Amino acid sequence: MADSVNYSIISSEIFLLIALCVIMLVDLFQRDKERKLTFMLTQGSLLTLFIMGVQDLGVQETIGFSGHWIQDQFAVVLKLAIYLTAFISLLYARPFIRERNLMRGEYYLLTLFSILGMMIMVSANSLLVVYLGLELLSLSLYALVALQRDSNDASEAAVKYFVMGGLASGFLLYGISLVYGMTGSILIDEVANYIAVSGANLMIQFGLVFIVVGISFKFGAAPFHMWLPDIYHGSPSSITAYISSVPKIAAFGMAFRVLESSFGGADIHWTPMIMIVAMLSVIVGNIVALIQTNLKRMLSYSAIAHIGYFLLGLSIGTDEAYAASMFYIIVYALMTLAGFGIIIFMSSDKNDYQQISDLRGMGRYHPWYALMFTIIMISMAGIPPLIGFWPKLEIFRLLVINDHVLAAVVAIAFSVVGLVYYLKVVKEMYFTEATDSPNVSNSRSLKIAISVNCLLLVIFGLMPDRIYYYCLSAFTSLN
Amino acid sequence: MTFQVIVFYSFAAWVVFSALMVITSKNSVKAALFLVLTFASASVIWLLLEAEFLALSLIVVYVGAVMVLLLFVVMMMDIDYAALRQGFVKKLPFAIAASLAFFALLYFFITHGEFSAVHFAQPEAKSADYSNIKELGRVMYTDYVIAFETAAVILLVAIISAIALTFRGRKHRKAQVISKQLAANKRNRLKIVSMDAVVEEPVSQVNDVEEEGEDK
Amino acid sequence: MIGLSDYLLLSAVLFSISIAGIIINRKNVITLLMCIELMLLAVNTNFIAFSHFLQDSAGQIFVFFILTVAAAEAAIGLAIIVVLFRNRATIDVDKINQLKG
Repeated sequence: MADSVNYSIISSEIFLLIALCVIMLVDLFQRDKERKLTFMLTQGSLLTLFIMGVQDLGVQETIGFSGHWIQDQFAVVLKLAIYLTAFISLLYARPFIRERNLMRGEYYLLTLFSILGMMIMVSANSLLVVYLGLELLSLSLYALVALQRDSNDASEAAVKYFVMGGLASGFLLYGISLVYGMTGSILIDEVANYIAVSGANLMIQFGLVFIVVGISFKFGAAPFHMWLPDIYHGSPSSITAYISSVPKIAAFGMAFRVLESSFGGADIHWTPMIMIVAMLSVIVGNIVALIQTNLKRMLSYSAIAHIGYFLLGLSIGTDEAYAASMFYIIVYALMTLAGFGIIIFMSSDKNDYQQISDLRGMGRYHPWYALMFTIIMISMAGIPPLIGFWPKLEIFRLLVINDHVLAAVVAIAFSVVGLVYYLKVVKEMYFTEATDSPNVSNSRSLKIAISVNCLLLVIFGLMPDRIYYYCLSAFTSLN
Repeated sequence: MTFQVIVFYSFAAWVVFSALMVITSKNSVKAALFLVLTFASASVIWLLLEAEFLALSLIVVYVGAVMVLLLFVVMMMDIDYAALRQGFVKKLPFAIAASLAFFALLYFFITHGEFSAVHFAQPEAKSADYSNIKELGRVMYTDYVIAFETAAVILLVAIISAIALTFRGRKHRKAQVISKQLAANKRNRLKIVSMDAVVEEPVSQVNDVEEEGEDK
Repeated sequence: MIGLSDYLLLSAVLFSISIAGIIINRKNVITLLMCIELMLLAVNTNFIAFSHFLQDSAGQIFVFFILTVAAAEAAIGLAIIVVLFRNRATIDVDKINQLKG
């Protein structure tokens, strides 16, 4: 099988790994407390990866490494989204971690390692490689959350994240082991072949239950979300912004590879399960977010609700719907980054900004940023001219077309509920009397990052078809 | 054959017993030692399944390294076990019910599904010169090279993050340096200063107190 | 004669025990870590049993990688627990819980 070793299909991964080793060594000999060089090299390698990815757009599907690796349009588009969002999240992170003694080379290294893990997840073509990529991602994230060593909350969040992640992996692996026992292979293609030939028997269905539970744990979807708000709340804000957005894109890649590529022939068995998880997430996320007074917790619950809408798209099970949920997850990542960007922006030196009431007076004292935050909130709520609206509309439309009218109605109803808490934030900024000017960061790069991120939301909102086109192309090339 | 049956059931009983002890032990050190026992008995079960390499690496790598690391950490911490046990009895019935229900489900699927003895025949025993290690090694670096490389990166992440989380810079320890002690001579330790004799003038008690009062 | 289902039942028992352990030891993080190890042991036993009965080495390779990952996971988990213990002087996760709000 020597001919199946084709290094050109893992060129991005090889590049990132080499870059990582170089950055690690460079960082080791740096005396600079600001870690400027490490930061530059990290962002530079992300940009290079992005350029390499753009050139890969429109590739032919290639399978290599004895069937364990796949290079296709789907992977390329998801990887581009991962680089872009990770780049933005590091821009947000820099001023935040400078003030919190977190400015250590490991912050960038672990971020890059988690990106490598995500790249492996979306390009994996066997259950083994999916699992290893997932663990590479998760292990880096556990360490990243705990990196603020002197913080009580961060270490508690890290422990909870760790236990939840371990539990999820356990369930996922148990499911994979049952599937392996039945099909005799861990290659996704062979599992799909087996199902096409012999259909999904009882054991496959049983294994699927475990796999769906494991994946839902990783997404933080509703019945398995117990500790998720604690984790998002406890982690340092810049890391919350990262872990709540970028890994979700990769998790979508994993869900697609595991559920659709392997068990596409048995989708009548897993789509109802995903549908239930999705509905629960929409309901729980939106209702609990209503009563939060802490912005970070509110955004955590709203993240659960968004994952619910996204999973609704996944549960429809047509190529168009996969494209719609891919669109949703990319847009979601951009919006969530911006949402937690607010928290980073409002956090001052030692004081972590948390409460919604701290936003009072933004409209009067910082009208430009108040406008930006309004854009983010309205986009998250899904109001028309902004980007958050389009993928939601697309998913609701597909739900109705595919005879899931009840689900569509419930989802729309709860999206109206969602409007209430997003607008509560806007109301707090403009219409509640403030005694003094709210605290904002004066880091220039952060101001630029927030503005650029919000303008991206507006611009993409005006021409959503460009991104959607790439999402669709990822699936048309599959067939 | 009967010997294998005896081995299976006796070691399976050890696995189950020690796993139960792991989750119910009051003291984490005890729990860790029972976990070692679980792994050791499980590796015998793995030997029955002709997975010699993994059975041995479970003992050598897992028990020998990971569990020892765990024991070190447990012993390093001064944990108040009584506080951690609060609510233990309260949750016990729920835990038993949940795990029994779960097991019943698994039991039903395993004995009624495609995995029952009817569908899976007993495989032929491997010949005496069959090498399990050779078999695994042959595919490890060829078919599974991508997984192997990823695992290497995962270990690198583990090293980096363990250091990043727990290392707090070098401490100046007060250790004994014998060569320095032997090299020391009188001049390092003792300094003789010649001084003029000072004759103190007698000072009255009252003045002293007043001066102190002024200082304050 | 020991059939496949006997091995699978053994690992099912282990899996159920680890779930019970996670429920009753919610406070003690070290025992939670051990419960996750037990869960992985159950999965590994499953894989090895299938690998034996299918006469296929893929299952054993999978176990090899799970063992590697579990070792890395234990190292990171213990590091996180040490950090938590330094901050709190306890390993009880529910002690300071700001969940309400």
